[in-house]
Amino acid sequence: MTAPDRRRGLILFVLILVAVAIISFAAYRLTGPMGIEERYSNAVGLPSTEEEEGGGWFGFSLEGNHLAYGVILLALVGISVIAYLRWKKEESR
Amino acid sequence: MAHIHLPDGSFTLSWVLFWWICALVLIGAALVWARRRGVGATEITVAAFVTAASFAVFQVQVPLFGGVHMNLTPLIGILAGPVLGSFIVFIVNILSAAIGHGGWGLIGANVLVNFSEVLTGYLIFRALKRITPSLFSRAGIATFGGLFVGNIAMIAIILVSGIQGVTQTPLQILTGLSLLAAVNMGVAVVEAFVTGFIVEYIGKVKPDLLGGGRP
Repeated sequence: MTAPDRRRGLILFVLILVAVAIISFAAYRLTGPMGIEERYSNAVGLPSTEEEEGGGWFGFSLEGNHLAYGVILLALVGISVIAYLRWKKEESR
Repeated sequence: MAHIHLPDGSFTLSWVLFWWICALVLIGAALVWARRRGVGATEITVAAFVTAASFAVFQVQVPLFGGVHMNLTPLIGILAGPVLGSFIVFIVNILSAAIGHGGWGLIGANVLVNFSEVLTGYLIFRALKRITPSLFSRAGIATFGGLFVGNIAMIAIILVSGIQGVTQTPLQILTGLSLLAAVNMGVAVVEAFVTGFIVEYIGKVKPDLLGGGRP
């Protein structure tokens, strides 16, 4: 495949990106600013739930129990490392 | 990403059971498939890493359009394939409910929604190979496609199940959910870049991993 083929993929990607961004922004302007739970409740007609504010980093925040999140993530990373070491051992054989 | 972000009790018990049974049938079929063709050490390692990454990212609320989530489901499809991908989304949904993100009753429905994203992402990424060699573009477009189909699946499941205790007509719910899905797709822009860069990078340093996502 050639450079024009690569360009064709990028053009398609950018076109989709622009269309999605415009539609999303328009929908956001129509519905107004609200959190994800509130947005779902409003969409289906359930009473709005107050969402926790603040406590995040630059607007990013964690869902659920933070301690449980840390413990589970640590366990998942541990399992991944064990799987990686086993795979490396198998590769070196 | 699409994820039914409603509290437990939104669906009737019969619908909760129905979606759980559908999800378990899917997992059962994937188990049989995986047993028949076997799963290599490379695939297990990749699956372990994408499970950890998906869980880590899924719990983070991104400050875009009031708050949205990523879950890297199209990336799961591209790297691990739909069979291992079905196990991954099942595990991530269970672990998410365990920490209080998402209801236990909605795990079945959410597994189906996420699986539709994994499968679509996988299929589009493979299909685009004939059109463009650019891994970034293929992965980015696969992400848009996967998340779009996930949103359709999410709307369909909610419309079919109905919501307990609301007076809105199905048309009103459809309108509300369509607007929500459109806002949700905003995160697809971020996720498409993330997935595109990750796949492009893997294609440079370890291209054989991209062939690992067998069905």
